[in-house]
Amino acid sequence: MKKSLSVLNKHPHIWRARDQKQSETKFSLGFACLDKALNGGVASTGLVRISSLTGVGELSLFKQVICQYRTHKLVVFINPPGLLQSPWLENLGLKAQQVLVVKTSAEQESLWAAEQCLKSTACHCVVLWSNAINQKEARRLQVAATHNDALCLLYTPPQQQAPSLNYSKTSLQGGLQTSTPSQNDSSLPITLDIALLGTPHALSVNIRKQRHGWPKDNIVISHRWTPDNHAIKWAMAHNTLSDQALHSVN
Amino acid sequence: MLWAYIYCYQLTLDSHIQAATSKRAHRQGARNEANGSSSSLALNTPIAVYCSKTNKITQCNDIAKKEGIEIGHGLAQAAALCPYVHILPFSEEAEKHMLTQLAHRLYPLASDIVLDNHIHSNSVSGLAVRLDNLIHYYGGHKPLWKTLTQALAEADIHYHFGSAWTVEAAKVLAQHKYNTYLHTPDDIKKALSACPLAITALSSKAIDSLARVGVTRVQQLLAMPVQELGRRFDNNTIMYLTALRGETFPRVTLFRPLEHFDNFTLLPFDIENTQHLTPFVTQQFEHLSHYLRARNLYTSSISVHIHFREAPVMDINIHSALPQSSVKSWLPLFSLKTEGLELPEPATAIALTCQQFEEIDSQNGDFFSDRFNDVAQKQLIGRLNAKLGDNSTFQPRAADSHQFEYMTVTEPSAGDCTGNYAYSTDITPTFTFDTPKPLIQATQICFGPVRLHSEWWHDSPIKRDYFIAQTEQSVRLLVFKDEESRWWVHGLFC
Repeated sequence: MKKSLSVLNKHPHIWRARDQKQSETKFSLGFACLDKALNGGVASTGLVRISSLTGVGELSLFKQVICQYRTHKLVVFINPPGLLQSPWLENLGLKAQQVLVVKTSAEQESLWAAEQCLKSTACHCVVLWSNAINQKEARRLQVAATHNDALCLLYTPPQQQAPSLNYSKTSLQGGLQTSTPSQNDSSLPITLDIALLGTPHALSVNIRKQRHGWPKDNIVISHRWTPDNHAIKWAMAHNTLSDQALHSVN
Repeated sequence: MLWAYIYCYQLTLDSHIQAATSKRAHRQGARNEANGSSSSLALNTPIAVYCSKTNKITQCNDIAKKEGIEIGHGLAQAAALCPYVHILPFSEEAEKHMLTQLAHRLYPLASDIVLDNHIHSNSVSGLAVRLDNLIHYYGGHKPLWKTLTQALAEADIHYHFGSAWTVEAAKVLAQHKYNTYLHTPDDIKKALSACPLAITALSSKAIDSLARVGVTRVQQLLAMPVQELGRRFDNNTIMYLTALRGETFPRVTLFRPLEHFDNFTLLPFDIENTQHLTPFVTQQFEHLSHYLRARNLYTSSISVHIHFREAPVMDINIHSALPQSSVKSWLPLFSLKTEGLELPEPATAIALTCQQFEEIDSQNGDFFSDRFNDVAQKQLIGRLNAKLGDNSTFQPRAADSHQFEYMTVTEPSAGDCTGNYAYSTDITPTFTFDTPKPLIQATQICFGPVRLHSEWWHDSPIKRDYFIAQTEQSVRLLVFKDEESRWWVHGLFC
């Protein structure tokens, strides 16, 4: 018994929380506190799920990851929620030849397309928008990504905290799934699972699950992804010259 | 066996148009001095290709066709119909060059290619590609054919195609302009039956003697027993006929790519100044860099040959200290070398050859990572289009407009757009909606206003004040207020 346990202990796929040192390549996100919580950044391969509302800066957050690595390969956007604008891509730092947009009509088709892209070895990163993903599909994408040195960013709508909503959804599907949705949700075999929550002045990141690391909640980063009137406001606030002073120049 | 025949019916014309448009694009990009006469030449004038040997027009563009010029007209007739037609000389040598270049382009995608431009077949040039041995690698007929057609679309040539059990049968279908991909014997047989005998490669004598016994269509020929044919015709004809019927598979000489690089371009017009050669040489360097990249090679010496009408070919040998492959590194060397050069007479064609290659040392690991990238990308796009439909993939490109609706054009990913002008702005959203939606939630403005008017040539002028607004959940929206002070959401910042 003891012997068999020690054999199991040596298995390379078993990770113990006390082994912090990992040799895998990480892509830095460019936010110090977030990178620290993620042990250096996002893993260079695998499936990353980001659950957030659309429009809280969830793509710009991964700017460095998308633009700075493996630049000779494609970045594929599958089933984006609107018409992707090329000047925005340029501002982000992507060249037009590097981008491919795939429009699909069904959820299954976009998962299929994502898997094909990952397997083709021509892609650096596949950005996929999908409403729900089950364990099997997640596993397929994870394997396709890790075996072909690619990254898959999966954007899903924010998960409901109340499990009742999830229950009703699965029962509609026929109730074939025996595992409860909440279990299903957290046990997806993926590299990283994060949730983004926008607050008026910052972005709060919850790491719900990461491989070789501990989950961590509420990492607040100041993230600017659009131009704002900050400069004007600042100038107005720091304007010490009164009207009179302006006149006195004359 | 399954072969596809690609019948390129206007190679000379295609290459002329390509050269002229690439020149135009280059001109726009570099913002050189305006010279409209040459740039508009390819697109707006009637052009015809004239073969002096047979005194016939062999190829003509749409504008020439509109003027009444048809293939088969004599030079005098064409000139009478349209006095300002631009005539290009037909040269077998040049067509062969272009066909070889096309074969080089297809070779990474398909192994067995047969070049078909025999002199006796009367200015027909085409390629045959064997498909049955490739299907296994591409995973089906559809992805394979998509990949090939995409490569052909990138080569920007006009062609008819047909597919059948032998090269001969596929050629008949291609010349019949069948343009449908078939792979089951029944379909092929049905398609072949409809073809007239005149487009087969039978000699006119054989066609005559067949017509005398009432055989005018391929259908009757397919139905005839072999012994019947044996009594009537000589050996060569029998061989052709059995090949057409798919009973024998004649030996073919497969295309082998050259061991060295050799690229030849006919110039669309005579060039007197070495500076004006630059765009065409750039094009050739691009070909060279693709060639080297695919083969994992560098080179330290190349030679550019400039052809003239009368004077002997001028060779310019360029050496570089360091073996290199990119356009960026070779082009400055070329322009330095030719700065003080004077051409004895206007140049008509240029060629780029490269004989010596150097292996890349394997220490440079990242070179390998993108070596097969180009082919992999094409295969991927071909596969996605095969399953999801032709319009399912596209690459967003910048367009010439400052309005959010028209800023980005989406075109099928096969197109090779050379849009040099890109309107860039930092308030472009990540996504726009197809149509603006009314703003129905509470928001706070964090940037703006930016007032945009539509261009004057649009029918309905619009004036909008754009803002970036933030909702309570911190979602950033692109909103605008129209002239009637209604608020709309137009896009999202992700």
